[in-house]
Amino acid sequence: MSLRIAGIGAMASVGHDAAEVFENLCAGRGAPNVLRGFDRSWFTADQLFEIDDRPVPGADVPGRATAFLLDVVGQALADAGLPAQLDDIPVLVGTGLRELRSVELWWRESAKFPVDRLHFGTALRERFGAVDTHTFANACSASLYALALGADLIRMDEADTVIVAGVDSVTTSMYGLADRFQPSPPDRVRPFDRNRKGTILGDGAAAVVLRRDTGRHGVLRSVGINCDARHPTAPDRNGITSAMRLAHELAGVRPRDIDLVLLHGTGTPLNDEVEARAFGEVFGADAGRPLLTGIKSMTGHTSGSAGVLSLIVALRALATGTVPPITAVDDPIDEVAGYRMVLGTAASEPLSMAQVNGFGFGGVNAVAVVEAAR
Amino acid sequence: MNLAITGVGLALPGDASITDLLGPVMARACAVDPASRLGRKGLRFKDRATQLGLCAADEALRAAGLWNPDLAPDERLTVPGESVAVVVSSNLGNIDTVCRVAQTIGEEGSRSLSPMDTPNASSNILASDVAIRFGLRGPNLMVCNGATSGLDAVHWASTMLRSGRAEYVVVLGVEPDNEMVRQLTDTGRVLDGAAAVVLEVPEHAKSRGVTACAEVGRYVRTAGMAECVDRLTSVDTPHVWFTPEGTGKRPEALAGTMRLDIAGRRGLCYGALGVLQCAAAAGWFAQGGDGPVLALAGNDSDDATAGVLLYAGATGD
Repeated sequence: MSLRIAGIGAMASVGHDAAEVFENLCAGRGAPNVLRGFDRSWFTADQLFEIDDRPVPGADVPGRATAFLLDVVGQALADAGLPAQLDDIPVLVGTGLRELRSVELWWRESAKFPVDRLHFGTALRERFGAVDTHTFANACSASLYALALGADLIRMDEADTVIVAGVDSVTTSMYGLADRFQPSPPDRVRPFDRNRKGTILGDGAAAVVLRRDTGRHGVLRSVGINCDARHPTAPDRNGITSAMRLAHELAGVRPRDIDLVLLHGTGTPLNDEVEARAFGEVFGADAGRPLLTGIKSMTGHTSGSAGVLSLIVALRALATGTVPPITAVDDPIDEVAGYRMVLGTAASEPLSMAQVNGFGFGGVNAVAVVEAAR
Repeated sequence: MNLAITGVGLALPGDASITDLLGPVMARACAVDPASRLGRKGLRFKDRATQLGLCAADEALRAAGLWNPDLAPDERLTVPGESVAVVVSSNLGNIDTVCRVAQTIGEEGSRSLSPMDTPNASSNILASDVAIRFGLRGPNLMVCNGATSGLDAVHWASTMLRSGRAEYVVVLGVEPDNEMVRQLTDTGRVLDGAAAVVLEVPEHAKSRGVTACAEVGRYVRTAGMAECVDRLTSVDTPHVWFTPEGTGKRPEALAGTMRLDIAGRRGLCYGALGVLQCAAAAGWFAQGGDGPVLALAGNDSDDATAGVLLYAGATGD
């Protein structure tokens, strides 16, 4: 039995569907824009990677995360050639911030917001007739956590098809706390650059159709999941190396089998250093072999959707041999010296196996291994 | 395969025990005071839901023999940290932080925020704080899935055990009471409590000499109550039915079966309900009650109904 990806769907500030997102990332197109949904006077920072879909410019509305989710699930189903009627097919949604932006609009601006819209099951049932829906709020590794559990359902013969999605729309509370934290606001996201100043959040959503034995986009070999159990916000190298090793063990691969790594790469001082060191420790003598890239310099940090969004980019890279670059890096940190970082412009070479990293607040780690379709 | 409940922990108003869950709530029951149960250390800056969750998890882990606070710090967890997963259900857990922070931003700007609110703005803080306090390095899942969430969390715990991702899972259901959640849910009172159960494979419990206080059997999730009841009663005939919240005295389903409304007068239990029902099933069996027990969460006005069958420990199916 193999677990295959039969359909993909994605949206982010860089594109409205998976093809457009991948094309723009490969071309190095993508940057934050000035804040459009929040009042700029509240913050020192003024940049955000938004999907600006508000009906009236500048006036934020409830339910945007749900709308993104329904869009990408619809894309993935259509891409898989499945009807938009899910019934008992499980839908597992990973999210960092649920519909908390709607809660903010309800509390501060008296927007109408029924509590049964805080999770995504109500809307998924309305749109797709789905009854087996699950909302996991697992911070920035949420969608890869959902992928792990979705894969388990198929392996355990409890489903033949599972929809796995990730979604997030940025909250003012998380944006404001990041703003409070950062000594000076970053104007760009510069993962692994010596002068990186931190991350900038972004809206995003991604979905895949995971099926037993059928699917043209690639093979899911494993997802390793664990928890650092160390600190509420700081990443831990031991937890991250364990998650990578677990993913390799479950996939039955060695570091030398991996051709491409989609790094979590948030552009925060701590994440990038810890992730680079953990990669070096796990890959050892093979650390100079795989290509290394990440998407957050062009999409921003899309929180719970980031993992499956990166997974889709990895699948497209495996299928096309083209790897989007990390942009905005002028002076790479010492920790990545000797690694094959894809910086500035896209790389091109045959690839067959990729690793996708996702790490979240609270030390929740998830690492996936995917293989090109043959 | 049934799974054993080998530890139960509660953090409920009036210090209720598992058998108290079966009866009416004491009027004017005192709110849980986490500092008196856990000590003040490590509770500062943690939101109410997290503090309640830590109390219930502490009690459940001790009851299951996985945590011994009398030992040296690195020996308190009596099994390897990576063998223990955490699955938490809560829908309203960090609503207070999000609303309060958004309000401060709107009134005074982001410079007036406390960085200590940062972890609490992410909904998974409950699950990760339980892992941090007890050193639980297995999978760590935060389920925020509406009315069915507590029983869904039990299902994901069961999935993790059966797939081999963990050997033990602490499943926690929590909802806090505060001004924001009362307004958002349009209810006068929310539970302000937590329940936790430790799940493991029965043979595993037996091999380490631990007695199961209940077993968790089949789980189904359906579009409505009637279908959920039909599918579970085709597996086994329940002796007791723990009803979904807000079902009232509707007669149509399971007419001859004894009903218990665990949510009852405790206030809205929401994401905590399913785990409270599992704890209450342990209480039912402890006082000599027969199984199977049917636990249902989510009524016909919710997006789905989830149901679980529970059995007395060691009798199995």
